[in-house]
Amino acid sequence: MRQFFPVEELARDERFHTISNRERMGDPRTVFQTGEQSRRSNRLTPSRKDASDAARALMHGIFVGEIQALEGAGRTCHDFDTSTGTESRTDAVPFALKLDMARQAWDEARHVEISVRLSDWMGSEIGQFAENTVLFEAACSTDPVLRLAGVNRALEGLAIDVFTTMKEFGDLAGDPYLEFCEDWMLADEVTHVKMGSDWLRRVTENDPDRRKKALEFQSVVDKLFSYGGTRSDSEESPIGLARRFRELAGFTETEVDEIADVSRAALDERKAFVASARTS
Amino acid sequence: MSVTVTPQEFKFVAYDAALIRRVTEQLLDSLGLDRDVAIEVDETTPLARTRVDIGDTIAIRAESGAFEDTKRPRQQSENATATALGRVLLRVKDRLVGGFGEAPPDEDLSLAQVAAWDTYCVGRLNRLGIATNEQRWRYNFRNRHGFTDAADEAFDKLWFSDNLSWGELEAISTAIPS
Repeated sequence: MRQFFPVEELARDERFHTISNRERMGDPRTVFQTGEQSRRSNRLTPSRKDASDAARALMHGIFVGEIQALEGAGRTCHDFDTSTGTESRTDAVPFALKLDMARQAWDEARHVEISVRLSDWMGSEIGQFAENTVLFEAACSTDPVLRLAGVNRALEGLAIDVFTTMKEFGDLAGDPYLEFCEDWMLADEVTHVKMGSDWLRRVTENDPDRRKKALEFQSVVDKLFSYGGTRSDSEESPIGLARRFRELAGFTETEVDEIADVSRAALDERKAFVASARTS
Repeated sequence: MSVTVTPQEFKFVAYDAALIRRVTEQLLDSLGLDRDVAIEVDETTPLARTRVDIGDTIAIRAESGAFEDTKRPRQQSENATATALGRVLLRVKDRLVGGFGEAPPDEDLSLAQVAAWDTYCVGRLNRLGIATNEQRWRYNFRNRHGFTDAADEAFDKLWFSDNLSWGELEAISTAIPS
């Protein structure tokens, strides 16, 4: 079986239509307002007029995200040699790390099945919305430590934010299945982030430069996964930052503040891009 | 009757004004509405709201997301266009000739009332041959009326009805125990 699989060759049937992050972010339209109106809330709650359609779209985003997370975790099991755990090689990982990635792949496969059922429950069809493949792209690094930073800490961190938002949505709307399923998946995501944080620390214990590089990569991915401010502390963002669950997953308060800062920057950049696209 | 669409050429999305006009004409014909329609598409937002003013001309303002193919962002979906315009035009027809005289103005409708009326509209669109995902609208209805058997029964009544008045629709919606 080949190693280091390119994003362009992910297996998808005719129901799916994939788009790149460049295409997604190149859309000059926006839900964000400028000036006085910019203080209004876009948070995904049942009180929004378009609540059920917005929740369906986000649920489909979760579904394809779970597929890519499964593909990414599976790849990390296979793409690298097995090390003893004491050496700092970029082409090998400890066997126990591979076991954790295998467990994560199992979790993600279960999440895919849950997401399909929830999408069906909410009235969506598989492939009804475009699939942004940026999540898998973050899992394509040739250094496994960068994958841990990009996938387990940034992507799975985003999953914590998304599942918290959806769980609260289900709770407020009185949707028993949504609230229940999101709560269980959220628990898994907290574990995945914790695994990433622990392994990142252990593998780079004697290699501070590599750790620094990995954390810088995480910051870049965190900004990408803010999707132009779709996720941030601001009420303008549909998805909030789940600070409490991030703490449980091993993020320090400073780290969460840093993510809040890059998310806010992504929101501001998105608004500036849209303003410029409208005047050109 | 005439149908006008603005803009005629789109900058932010790849929509076809002629397709929007054709879909609208077919809907007017199917619904037996004989009135001019002016459609303005706001292509600066991906949201999907529609607003309508009923005068000598039916003036519809639609955000671009209302006509969008969610699988291919910024591309138009004929089905989404027909569903969005069909919902609007059925509400117009209800207000003009369908016993909805006492219905509040659109901006004063509660979320539950909107969901009930949407259910009534989309059920009829489905019977006109416009493909719809019933579960999508059931989920929307449940979000506003509760995830209960009583809410599902009310949904079925609205979905399969053809000649309700506003009072009857309102009675079905409000009879659901909270």
